[in-house]
Amino acid sequence: MEPTLDATVFIVDDDASVREALAWLLRSRRLLSECYDSAEAFGRLLNRGFTPRQPCCLLLDVRMPGMSGLALFNQLIERGLQAVMPVIFLTGHADVPTAVDAVKRGAFDFCEKPFSDNALVDRIEQALQRSAEVLAASREKLGLQGRLAELTERERDVMRLVVEGLPNKLIADQLDISVRTVEVHRARVFDKMNVKSAVELANLLRNL
Amino acid sequence: MRLSARFPALRLSSVWRRWSLWASLVVLVFAVLGTLVWLAGRYEASQVQGKLERDTADAIGDIRAALTRNVQGLQALQASSPTPSSWTIEAASLLREHREFMRIEWRDASLAILAQVDTPYRAPVFERLGRDNAQSDVALACATARRLSGPAYSSSYFLPQPDGLGLEVIELCLPQVTAGRLSGYLLATYSLQEILADLVGQQLTRSQEVSFTEADGTRLALHGSARRGSRVFTAQQLLDLPGNTLVLRMDSWRGAPDLFPNVLTALVTAMSIALVSVLVLLVKDSRRRLRAERNLADALAFRKAMEDSLVTGLRARDLQGRISYVNPAFCQMVGFTAEELLGHGTPAPYWPPELADEYHQRQAVRLAGHLPPREGFESVFMRKDGSRFPVLIIEAPLINAQGLQTGWMSAFLDISEQRRVEELSRASQERLQATARLATVGEMASLLSHELNQPLAAISSYATGSLNLMQGASAPDPRLRDLAMAMRRIAEQAERAGKVIKSVHDFVRRRDQAREAVEPQALIDAIMPLVSLQARKLAVRVQTRLAEGLAPVLCDRTMVEQVLLNLSRNAMQAMDQAELTERLLVLQVRDAASNERQRWLEFSVADRGAGIPDEVARQLFTPFFTTKAEGMGLGLSLCRTVIEQHGGVLWFEPKQPAGTIFKFTLPVDPSRHGTHA
Repeated sequence: MEPTLDATVFIVDDDASVREALAWLLRSRRLLSECYDSAEAFGRLLNRGFTPRQPCCLLLDVRMPGMSGLALFNQLIERGLQAVMPVIFLTGHADVPTAVDAVKRGAFDFCEKPFSDNALVDRIEQALQRSAEVLAASREKLGLQGRLAELTERERDVMRLVVEGLPNKLIADQLDISVRTVEVHRARVFDKMNVKSAVELANLLRNL
Repeated sequence: MRLSARFPALRLSSVWRRWSLWASLVVLVFAVLGTLVWLAGRYEASQVQGKLERDTADAIGDIRAALTRNVQGLQALQASSPTPSSWTIEAASLLREHREFMRIEWRDASLAILAQVDTPYRAPVFERLGRDNAQSDVALACATARRLSGPAYSSSYFLPQPDGLGLEVIELCLPQVTAGRLSGYLLATYSLQEILADLVGQQLTRSQEVSFTEADGTRLALHGSARRGSRVFTAQQLLDLPGNTLVLRMDSWRGAPDLFPNVLTALVTAMSIALVSVLVLLVKDSRRRLRAERNLADALAFRKAMEDSLVTGLRARDLQGRISYVNPAFCQMVGFTAEELLGHGTPAPYWPPELADEYHQRQAVRLAGHLPPREGFESVFMRKDGSRFPVLIIEAPLINAQGLQTGWMSAFLDISEQRRVEELSRASQERLQATARLATVGEMASLLSHELNQPLAAISSYATGSLNLMQGASAPDPRLRDLAMAMRRIAEQAERAGKVIKSVHDFVRRRDQAREAVEPQALIDAIMPLVSLQARKLAVRVQTRLAEGLAPVLCDRTMVEQVLLNLSRNAMQAMDQAELTERLLVLQVRDAASNERQRWLEFSVADRGAGIPDEVARQLFTPFFTTKAEGMGLGLSLCRTVIEQHGGVLWFEPKQPAGTIFKFTLPVDPSRHGTHA
């Protein structure tokens, strides 16, 4: 019974039996989980500079002694982590309006206790999927930035004009170099940026 | 009002009348006095006049009798057939006896003088004028005498004397008849002066002047004191003599100058003086009385104004229980007029019929002399329209100027308004308490559902997990199938339990969404009566500080009131320590830090208590945790739930220099968002 995904589900709930039951349920669906008994404990993790490198999501109880789930969610928003670490609120009936409000502010979903468990796990998987997508996007962006950093200054000038759609001749005139040189630079840019055409290059740069 | 409007006119006319009365009284008294004095004087005068008249008559009588005696004396001279010489001796002796005779002559029938004698008391009176000058008078008198056959008198004539004076004389002619034949005459010359002096009684002439006058008032002879006064009484009577008639006049001045001629007048005068002095005293007394009356009237008007301005009803009763006085406030209170109430005995018209017996007993106790409580007692009265109202009665015995009790004076306060306010305050207290109970039940349901939901969630999770694992197993083992079915049942039952809890919870929390825009001031005002009540009991000073222009908050009003009330009560209880002197509770509302989507108000409740120990602080919001003996431990937990349901936050922090401050936030009504920058 190996975890299918290289992903982590963080569980923050003050009730140990609920934490253990959830962890066990997730394990039955081959999901890894990490449990925290209070918002403060998870807050300490964040304070240590934790940034997710793998898909993850947060199951957060709204009502806890001490710091409430809502307050922790506010911390996540402040750190800009709510996208890469989607939050699913676990609520009692009393907290439903609060949870709805939280979803409006960017929480992934909320789930009333006692939950329809497999439906919850399905939502958790969707959340992890989202997390993976966000991670991938940010990684791609990181890679692109790395590749851009590899370009020389001249190549970057050529690339800017290529993306504007100018023919080689005009680029050569503007940069006051020979058309041949432009072609060499252009080939090298395509190679370094791992694209086949100017259109593909423009799309890539638009995401940046 | 009526009195003062009429007062000046009334005063003026009464003053005028009083003065005119006094003036007429004085005039009358003086008139009576004057009349009395005048009448007394007149009476006196008439007395004097009457006496004078009598004296005059006496004098006339005296003269007449003396003259008759003299006639007899003269006749006696002739009785013894005298010779002239013997006649002379007898005549001379007669002259010595009677001073009034001046001269006696014996004449014959032809009036020739036979013999003559002059009075020895003075010089011969005819010396100066001569006897012949009087011959005509003599002849006239003798003719009359002859005709009358008796003595006759001549008219008087003046006889001047050698010493320059003179005297008025009168001749008496007495005819001598012998054997029926006239033989001669006796002539006697009387001095009128001497007649008055010798023939009139001495007592009559002592204080009066006697004179003979002619008919025209010419004085012929005079005798008596010549005193003259301011007033003279005069009486005249005729002395009728044969041949002549003389007028005797008597003048008296006795008593005429006296102002108080006799005792009567003196008495009347003295009494009048006494009367006038009594009058003056009376005037003074009446002045004083008038002043006292005016002072009394002023005092009365003052008292009346005072009574009329009172809102306290006043009523006095005599010892028989009859109403002897009521003031306007009392009349207004019970709706009866003063006329209807005065003199009314028991049962009074304002006694509710159903309570009359009880009031009778109370009155009997009062009349027996038992003093009512000084702070008063409460009772129920009935208005004229039949409606009842509660009154506070304060009674005191009514003592008169002699120190005797004449009745009871009672003051009444209508306390129906006070009752209504008390009722209202009690109602609002009950409402808040009912809400508090409801909120507690809701919180308990919420807690219960939370506490039950946790294990149910765990059960459900384990069941689902187990099912997941079984599906992973390959062989369709019938025992595993049974087990899977049982697991599904477990999951279903857990879900069912969850639904039951949810339905109970929904029922209790049906009012969750009753949000309205409420001014912060209104929230504070709503709890203030209850807070003040407890603050008084614990000697806590309460301050509220609201910033200017606060926007209304969107909230479930009753629940937020509960939160404020709970926090205030906790704060006051935290200060309920004997050694604490500065007991101050501060309720504060101000704008809180807001984000661009929503504005917030921050409410805070601060005390000056000992603060919260760390071990307590950790568990402060845990349900059923409490430091109070009688507490349930739901208060703060409930408060936090309520605030979080509104999207706000509730927290606390220590306050410098001492105490704790609880703060919570509430969202501002978004519809007011734009209007308040």
